[in-house]
Amino acid sequence: MYIYLPIAEVSMHIGVIIGLGGGVGFLSGLFGVGGGFLMTPLLIFFGIPPAVAVSTEANQIVASSVSGVLAHMRRGNVDFKMGGILMAGGVVGSSLGVVLFKFLQSIGQIDLVIQMSYVVFLGIIGALMLTESLRTIIRSRKSGGVRRKLHQHNWFHGLPLKMRFRRSKLYISAIPPLVIGALVGVLAAIMGVGGGFIMVPAMIYLLGMPTAVVVGTSLFQIIFVTANVTLLQSIQTQTVDFMLAGLLLLGAVIGAQFGSRFGARLRGEQLRGLLALVVLAVCVKIMFDLALRPEDLLSVELLR
Amino acid sequence: MMRVQAPYTNLFRMQTFSMQSLRAGLVLVACLAVLICASVQPAGAAPNRVVADLSDDLVEINSSYHGTELLLFGAYRGMPGDDLILEVRGPSTDLLQRRKEQKAGIWINVETFRWLGVPSFYHVFSTRPLAEIAPLQTLTESGVGAASLGLRLAKSKGGGGSHHNGGDDSPVSRASASTDEQNAGLVRNMTGLGLWATRTGSVKTQQDMLYRTALSLPSNVPPGSYVVRVLHFRDGVAISESKTDMKIRKAGLSALIYRFAHDYSLFYGLFAIAFAVASGWLAAAAFRRN
Repeated sequence: MYIYLPIAEVSMHIGVIIGLGGGVGFLSGLFGVGGGFLMTPLLIFFGIPPAVAVSTEANQIVASSVSGVLAHMRRGNVDFKMGGILMAGGVVGSSLGVVLFKFLQSIGQIDLVIQMSYVVFLGIIGALMLTESLRTIIRSRKSGGVRRKLHQHNWFHGLPLKMRFRRSKLYISAIPPLVIGALVGVLAAIMGVGGGFIMVPAMIYLLGMPTAVVVGTSLFQIIFVTANVTLLQSIQTQTVDFMLAGLLLLGAVIGAQFGSRFGARLRGEQLRGLLALVVLAVCVKIMFDLALRPEDLLSVELLR
Repeated sequence: MMRVQAPYTNLFRMQTFSMQSLRAGLVLVACLAVLICASVQPAGAAPNRVVADLSDDLVEINSSYHGTELLLFGAYRGMPGDDLILEVRGPSTDLLQRRKEQKAGIWINVETFRWLGVPSFYHVFSTRPLAEIAPLQTLTESGVGAASLGLRLAKSKGGGGSHHNGGDDSPVSRASASTDEQNAGLVRNMTGLGLWATRTGSVKTQQDMLYRTALSLPSNVPPGSYVVRVLHFRDGVAISESKTDMKIRKAGLSALIYRFAHDYSLFYGLFAIAFAVASGWLAAAAFRRN
């Protein structure tokens, strides 16, 4: 059964949409990631206009982050103060991102920038994760292991506007989280992702937050960043397809449950190694798309 | 499950079957009516009349729309060897054509051209290949074929900026501005999207009196006002022409969502967020109990 998507203005098989939601939902449940970095390229691949894919995915991530954050809140794994600072940066950054998106679209370079951002960020994150998980696997085989410090002290621990983040056991300046929030917000708006895959490593390695609170805090701030993108894209470009988001969500909710049950059987470093491979595969695929000669050098875009 | 569904499927099939035969009957009646009208008129008043009609002059894009097929039909006073050309033209729009080039190992858009007043939909049907029906110049004068669309190009320089300075450039005539490569690319891209098509030999005639052809509308058909034109050719000259209108519009839930998104975009955005938060909450609650 085909369904006509009113904003994307194309019809898609309803099974394909729910299947996409389910498949990406399964992976996101398995690895504990949002899955936007898989869903947005897939939607574009299936013929959804890039602008609609990015905005609609933002809308869907609002829902998956809400359902994800509730579990972390019950366990007290959300640092609301840190989340609030990251969110403040994220709302500013994502607003800039939406403006930048429209500008790039008008000069015909949005596809390029989306693809380049995917290659660069997925490449870096995937490579880092892969080496880290391999090192952990090797170290665990050697047994023992070295005890690390709670967190390293960097130069930006000397910045002004110091604040105490009780839940994260940190006393640091508010400027780094604000800047990180803003930068990830820009990327979230352009790439159609929540940005958790950049935010989580940044929280651990740059801010030195304890691992227990990073996922919950990241999800908490992603809700607001993606809600902001949804609202601004609705007003500015009318590219949020409510019908598409709802159907993707339906698949994702079910897929995520199976994914998280399946993931409970695997070990953390194995999971991270697998996720790294998925991330690198997406990166390589997009890299090939950019490097291979397109079938037709000319393309058209109808203006409405 | 299967047992419950089977009778419904049959019922549905029967219904569509009867709809089709009803439609065919209507078409036949309409053709006859057209014929009678045409033959009743005195021979001198309208010597060469061609009449056009559609099986449906209003196409609604609702939630289950996935392309549709219409019957284009009518009557004409022909002689053996006559030809018919039918064209269906959608609303005009501006469009951007981009050209890619390899820069530093990757393919990027380096040039943007803005075409003005291009038909967003253009399907041509004919009894024979167009070139055999009439010379290109005659076809162009009659306004048939991609070469006659009056395409104008406003070039904006460099990799982009079309959005900003495209409107300021004065439109120049097609002949002086667009190259064969650009023209061919436009036809190729639009054909690839299913929006333009030339189907030669697709018009079926009966006894030089009746004609019909099938128009397939793709799922990405642009909504708006459409014009259907029929031209009757004899010995390479257009001797008669007729026009009829068709409308394609969004309907039902998809129209509602589209209008909501465009007319009340702030509320649409807030609604989309509220819906996402509520369904995320529900999903978490539902699976927590399990």
